[in-house]
Amino acid sequence: MPASMRRHLMLLVFASITLVWAITLLSSFRHATAEVEEWEDARLAQFAQTLTLLDQNDLTALSKAHVDAREEYGRGGSNGDDDKLPRNMLFQVRDGDGRVLAASPDLAPLGAWDPPSELAPQPRQGTRMITLGGAAGAGQAGGQPWHTYTLHDGPSGRTVRVLEPANTRSDLATGAARRISEPIAFALPILALLVWISIGHSFRPLRILSTVIDAREVSQLEPIDMGRSSSEVRPLIDAINHLLSRLRHSIVRERTFTADAAHELKTPLAAIKVQAQVALAAQDTLQQQLAMERVVQGVDRSARLVEQLLLLARLDEHDRMPMWAVALDGLARDVIVAKEDEALRKDIRVALVSDARFEIVAEPVLVNMLFDNLIDNALKYCDSGDRVEVAIRRDARAVLLTVRDDGPGVGIEELGRLTDRFFRGTGASSTGSGLGLSIVARIVEYFGARLSFGVGIDGRGLAVEIAFPCAASD
Amino acid sequence: MRILLVEDDDLIGLGVEAGLRQAGFAVDWARDGRAANLALTTTTYALVILDLGLPKMPGIEMLKWLRSCGKDVPVLVLSARGTVADRVVGLESGADDYLGKPFDLTELIARCRALLRRSQGRSVEVIRYRDLTVDPAARTALRSEVRVQLTAREWAVLVQLLTHQGVPQSRSRLEESLYGWQEEIESNVVEVHVSNLRKKLGTDLIRTVRGIGYVVEKA
Repeated sequence: MPASMRRHLMLLVFASITLVWAITLLSSFRHATAEVEEWEDARLAQFAQTLTLLDQNDLTALSKAHVDAREEYGRGGSNGDDDKLPRNMLFQVRDGDGRVLAASPDLAPLGAWDPPSELAPQPRQGTRMITLGGAAGAGQAGGQPWHTYTLHDGPSGRTVRVLEPANTRSDLATGAARRISEPIAFALPILALLVWISIGHSFRPLRILSTVIDAREVSQLEPIDMGRSSSEVRPLIDAINHLLSRLRHSIVRERTFTADAAHELKTPLAAIKVQAQVALAAQDTLQQQLAMERVVQGVDRSARLVEQLLLLARLDEHDRMPMWAVALDGLARDVIVAKEDEALRKDIRVALVSDARFEIVAEPVLVNMLFDNLIDNALKYCDSGDRVEVAIRRDARAVLLTVRDDGPGVGIEELGRLTDRFFRGTGASSTGSGLGLSIVARIVEYFGARLSFGVGIDGRGLAVEIAFPCAASD
Repeated sequence: MRILLVEDDDLIGLGVEAGLRQAGFAVDWARDGRAANLALTTTTYALVILDLGLPKMPGIEMLKWLRSCGKDVPVLVLSARGTVADRVVGLESGADDYLGKPFDLTELIARCRALLRRSQGRSVEVIRYRDLTVDPAARTALRSEVRVQLTAREWAVLVQLLTHQGVPQSRSRLEESLYGWQEEIESNVVEVHVSNLRKKLGTDLIRTVRGIGYVVEKA
């Protein structure tokens, strides 16, 4: 069963309620017990007081009769004691010389009170003292706890002791505890139901949210609107909306890319078709030959375009390709050598400026593609007699690769659009697809490097600089 | 018949240029909007073939500019953007026809002929004039049901005059219809072609308008 927040919350809430309830019950019970004891002590003192005033005859008569504490209370007020067991109050009255004037006959077998040791006031549990010259205490006699009260009466010189079995099972205390606990015990299931419903209600926005998301079509990427929602659900909706908007942009970008790619492929296809038809209709073989050569050129161009599109798609998939240490200068030299024929044909000098061996950790095929595109671009846009320079150097933090030329360059207003897919500058020759620099930008991004554009050689042309942020070894 | 081709793609441009030449048109090829602008302000064209994806001046802008100048030359738009919306925008911006890439060269040429025909107020390709039957598309000329062989230049002059019946055509206008930019114009060439045409088709076909040029009178 998956973890349920509702169950978890219920458990927490109920554990808390039960704990607080138990503590309340315990403290109420103790409080009630203390109250009852205090009240019984007061009554005991009152009884002792009465005994000091009775004469010998009354005392003797009283000692013969049973005084049941339950009846005393019963007459006292509405809060009668409902104890099941009889609680006989025992007493002993001595005169000033210590002679026993009267005593309950049941007292003798208990063997309590051998004067004068018992005269000393005894501290009670709870350390409360009664200051009428007497002292109350819970004595242990006959194997059961007793409440005792001793009173020294000044005028008569009598010492009165009252003994009562301690009311250990007082219904007053337990009754109070029951009265407190009963409503709670009844309330608990109702409380549980209410809490369960409340929690369920609180989770309603989440349920609505999942229904809303469930009901969505794959293409439905507009933000979720649930009107006013709580501050707990809002961040979730915001996060989902943020994700949706990113997804939407990415899909729009993909669609634009696909549309642009299809559009770009149409142009070389149109060229191939036109040239093929020219070749078919050509009257002389020379013209036919020329047209067929152009058909081949067109096919080459389409193939290169498809290759570039595939590379971009692969880079977009974010697949990590294996990387290892590659020598930038070596790769640059390889590409320059490969482009030598083209450079010679256009009479462009390509120079490599690198005074050391610079290594970066990278994917060699991509680095090769990077150089290929940069140098290809430079050769494509430069005029006859221009220079192209590939420089590799290092500063404190990065290996810097610069490809610059003194060709026609790029207008400032176009610099920002150079890496846009399918963007071709106004001076662009017609063979470009407008993908070269966007591929460079993607590869640079892939390596976590930084791409910037500037002015080329002698304040003319274009400079493309790439900073690879990695430690290089000489 | 001189056509301005505005196309930035080398391979397509070369192909269309060759195809149009094969079909007997004189072609000027401008690679961007600015060059096309210049060409249109200096030369009279029978037709413009315009690619919309142009550097320096977008094709649509150029089309709007053309129409705002009051030039009513027929314009056939070529574009890789071939959706209905794109076509509608193109046509409403002043294009007379719209062809999506990749296109068929024969279709392009046929559409060019159709546009030219309409702009000359004809509904059929074949021009009949007195005892002459001239088919510019098939490049055949019959005089009293007898086929007459004509050179490409003679054709161009004949078609130019026959399609502008009653309107005298100046020498320079006729020269314009004969040559593209790259071609060297020979002096007196129009006179030579006109005299050849008179030999082949009868002396009364083309009348000389003194100080202006030549005319084929209305039938």
